[in-house]
Amino acid sequence: MKKTVRELQKEQTKELLLKTAYEVFSKKGIMNTRVSDIAQAAGVSHGTIFVHFRSLEAMIEEVVALYGQKIAMRTHVLAQSSGSLSDLLHAHLGGIMEFEPFYTRLVIENRLLPPGARDSWISIQSAVSFHFSLVYEREFGHNDRSGILLHMLFNMWMGLVHYYLQNGDLFAPEGNVIGRYQDILVDSYLKLLKGGRAEK
Amino acid sequence: MKLCIACGMPMTKPADYPLGDESKDYCIYCARPDGSMQSYPEKLEGTTDFLIRTQGLDRQAAHAAAIRTLAQLPAWQGIQKTMDTPSGD
Ligand SMILES: [Zn+2]
Repeated sequence: MKKTVRELQKEQTKELLLKTAYEVFSKKGIMNTRVSDIAQAAGVSHGTIFVHFRSLEAMIEEVVALYGQKIAMRTHVLAQSSGSLSDLLHAHLGGIMEFEPFYTRLVIENRLLPPGARDSWISIQSAVSFHFSLVYEREFGHNDRSGILLHMLFNMWMGLVHYYLQNGDLFAPEGNVIGRYQDILVDSYLKLLKGGRAEK
Repeated sequence: MKLCIACGMPMTKPADYPLGDESKDYCIYCARPDGSMQSYPEKLEGTTDFLIRTQGLDRQAAHAAAIRTLAQLPAWQGIQKTMDTPSGD
């Protein structure tokens, strides 16, 4: 069925609102943003927003779902060509880097967000843990002498990355945590992993 | 690029499809060994186990998260109404 001009315009406005909300959330924080901030940044009236979204909560859920999907997809695409765990960890950080300000907001705020956004957060992490488990098992699976469970290794990596992002104002005040720490994060983590294996 | 209707994974190469069959709408991880699609209870259990194994979630939290995330996917639309699991939570 062909869409009418009116329907197309409606879609375009919605896309604009999602993109604008993403930008405002990245800059101001998600819970800190009011509907009027988004309306103003998008150059539309307050009422227009509620034509497209039931509530601010619904809007937050949609923005996080949409950009969560983009982040997960980017990670997935980059991870496809990862032969080693080192490649995969770089791919993970590469995927985050493109969305760093927004992703950082999610790291800090995700437990305060509406339930749907929390689920999107789990989906992002699942895209990573999926590839992490495949690559890890391929590289170390038959020869794992560390005795550390897969999910602990995954959570240690996540804990490290998220700690740096969460405290980005202290580690990289210019706002480029991943670009600045990517190599040292990956290298240190791998050394720890391999050193732990060698000792046993 | 197709997204798996049963888990949402992007399918980008023949190896992502069950038995390499690119006409399918679901991925290799949502298929049984014979290539047919897993049932909802099978997928729910698989997703729950995946969250526990790779991310270390609590079993009940993983089960609840799996129910909510599967509910977003085309293959499982309307399934909750019929299955609305008492789920032992
Ligand atoms: Zn699937």
